Amino acid sequence: SKSPLAQYGGRFTVTMLPGDGIGPEMMNYVKEVFRYAGVPVDFEEIHFDPNSESEVDFFDAITSIKRNGVAIKGNIETRENRPGQISRNVELRNELDLFAYIMNCKSFPGIQTRHKDIDIVLIRQNTEGEYAMLEHENVPGVVESLKIVTRANSERLARYAFDLAQKQGRKKVTTVHKANIMKVSDGLFLETCTAVAKEYPNIEHNNMIIDNCCMQMVAKPQQFDVMIMTNLYGNIVSNLACGLIGGPGLLSGRNMGPQYAVFEPGTRNTGKSIAGKNIANPIAMLNASVDLLDHLGLDYHAQLVGSAINKTVNEDCVWTPDLRGQATSIDVVQNVIRNIQEQTKTKNWGGPRMGR
Amino acid sequence: MLIVIFHLPYSNGVRTVTLIPGDGIGPEISAAVQKIFAVAKVPIEWEVVSVTPVKGPDGKFGIPQAAIDSVNKNTIGLKGPLMTPVGKGHRSLNLALRKEFNLYANVRPCRSIEGYKTLYDDVDVVTIRENTEGEYSGIEHEIVDGVVQSIKLITEGASRRVAEFAFDYARNNGRQKVTAVHKANIMRMSDGLFLRCCREAAEKNPDIRFEERYLDTVCLNMVQDPGMYDVLVMPNLYGDILSDLCAGLVGGLGLTPSGNIGTQGAIFESVHGTAPDIAGQDKANPTALLLSAVMMLRYMNLPEHAAKIERACYSTIKEGKYLTADLGGKGKCSEYTDEICQKIEAE
Ligand SMILES: Nc1ncnc2c1ncn2[C@@H]1O[C@H](COP(=O)(O)OP(=O)(O)OP(=O)(O)O)[C@@H](O)[C@H]1O
Ligand SMILES: Nc1ncnc2c1ncn2[C@@H]1O[C@H](COP(=O)(O)OP(=O)(O)OP(=O)(O)O)[C@@H](O)[C@H]1O
Ligand SMILES: [Mg+2]
Ligand SMILES: [Mg+2]
Repeated sequence: SKSPLAQYGGRFTVTMLPGDGIGPEMMNYVKEVFRYAGVPVDFEEIHFDPNSESEVDFFDAITSIKRNGVAIKGNIETRENRPGQISRNVELRNELDLFAYIMNCKSFPGIQTRHKDIDIVLIRQNTEGEYAMLEHENVPGVVESLKIVTRANSERLARYAFDLAQKQGRKKVTTVHKANIMKVSDGLFLETCTAVAKEYPNIEHNNMIIDNCCMQMVAKPQQFDVMIMTNLYGNIVSNLACGLIGGPGLLSGRNMGPQYAVFEPGTRNTGKSIAGKNIANPIAMLNASVDLLDHLGLDYHAQLVGSAINKTVNEDCVWTPDLRGQATSIDVVQNVIRNIQEQTKTKNWGGPRMGR
Repeated sequence: MLIVIFHLPYSNGVRTVTLIPGDGIGPEISAAVQKIFAVAKVPIEWEVVSVTPVKGPDGKFGIPQAAIDSVNKNTIGLKGPLMTPVGKGHRSLNLALRKEFNLYANVRPCRSIEGYKTLYDDVDVVTIRENTEGEYSGIEHEIVDGVVQSIKLITEGASRRVAEFAFDYARNNGRQKVTAVHKANIMRMSDGLFLRCCREAAEKNPDIRFEERYLDTVCLNMVQDPGMYDVLVMPNLYGDILSDLCAGLVGGLGLTPSGNIGTQGAIFESVHGTAPDIAGQDKANPTALLLSAVMMLRYMNLPEHAAKIERACYSTIKEGKYLTADLGGKGKCSEYTDEICQKIEAE
């Protein structure tokens, strides 16, 4: 049972967590684009004080998301000088039970890459596995780190994947694992996915060992359709997919749970080294904002912003340095806005303004 | 105290090396290597042993004592692919060999081969993988029904040993940079410990550049610009994954050599499987095993022989006349081998 989305006077309220690194500038672009597109969304922004030890900001964020049902976020840096603190990104996903991470990895026809025509839906377990964050030092110099796999979480992930495959008319689901070595844990994951697959006889299911999978990804990524995997393998394969499609600045990812949804750039990095330089590619975060519009049922606006983005990337070829272009972040955003203005002029604000 | 045996002292005498031909295509590709070594007049005598499991006094199946004795005596081995029957009584032989000889570092150079075109033509990286612990500890159990925990074990000793090996390897092979690959933002204590050991090794080796990168960032960069990396060192599972990924960039496992360096000896091996579908048909590609044997020669401080064989191998591939089927050619294993031999003799 999904909690209702916060909607006051026909407008949605969405939590915005800018995060660190390039996050805050990216969020400003999202707000700018939404303003020009006339999107009926108000953001409740929550900034974390990087120098504060306090957890207040973090719990404010959780409360806000629970109230609004939806959030858009940048990556929160895990500070190395605080070894006791676990990653807030992980904590947030756990707290909100965002068990599935979904990334649509589809080649952009306008961007030159080695591999063409990739079209993969990647589904990653998002709350357990290697990210359980249960570690201890038995004796000095000997550390144990626990990976947790549960049948319940594996099963709902598998079901989510197969339902999505069915809805989108996809043909094949590949389960990625290392059950030849981790016979019990990855074994449970594989066994559960295989069992769920039996309930969907019209969708082909196969499985692949993670190291072979990575070799196949760089050699022939077109063979994959829907992929389902545990947390760490998802981290690896999603970054690989981004690399194959054109880098960290393009794709977005969705954190989904039974009640809440959080949208963010696909590779989930902070991009600290390029922050504040007006060179980071804003497309990934803008695509996250389109995912958000989709989720809110704002189909018209999702279509409007989405096509403005695609035209910018594929036809206008306004590219930041990560795509070997010369444009600044602001150039890209302005181009997206120009496309939005052109579309709204010609279409004269036609169509349903709001879905749902 | 840790002793990294690296380049062994040069000796004029003939050295004995243990050869484990292996299963499937193993015997064919091993014969090819032996033939090429003979033509190149490499001062090596092979001691051929089988590692097919035998029943020990305790009733359990394991590696025959003769094979263990041979590697212990010679301290160097070359090994073809081994078949691990699924669901049979004994565990992976590769794993057993690793344990038996404490092969703590797995080294895999991946280099684009001129004349064999892939989508990536600028790859020249070496992955060094911690080979004894991490996610492969094998400690797993079901806590309650439907909840499994699997333990990844990282120790200071093993981490330091492989980190120091990486820097030694870089120096001895004319490499510039070592990158530690980790996930210490998530696995803060375990990968944190590994990373700390790498930093300490870096401090002791100021002549080699050092950097640290997240595993995901390396995957992202590797497919966009493999030239960013040189030598990479990492815990077990990450090494398993990244080494296969890099092999994929240069054309697969049929071309990439590998070495396992241990405290008790070193075993060089081809990492591909036994390829039962083409075994005994003179169709196998011996390159991976041959290049592993070349790595072995460098390790044994026989660089001239290594270079001579490597040149002949690369130019045979570049000419493209006798490529085996896996590389898109029509050549037989024996034809490819003979061509390499001729090139060596012609020098
Ligand atoms: N939106 C973006 N546009 C362009 N480049 C990006 C973008 N996001 C990330 N990058 C680049 O991708 C690479 C990986 O990013 P990432 O943020 O993970 O860097 P990092 O070195 O891992 O450190 P940190 O995560 O702490 O910033 C970096 O080179 C970064 O500059
Ligand atoms: N050295 C080689 N030369 C030519 N073809 C090879 C070679 N190694 C592997 N192949 C091909 O690659 C495919 C995969 O073979 P591989 O032996 O790695 O896996 P496998 O068949 O599962 O065997 P195993 O169980 O021993 O791993 C085979 O069809 C084989 O033809
Ligand atoms: Mg493999
Ligand atoms: Mg492997």
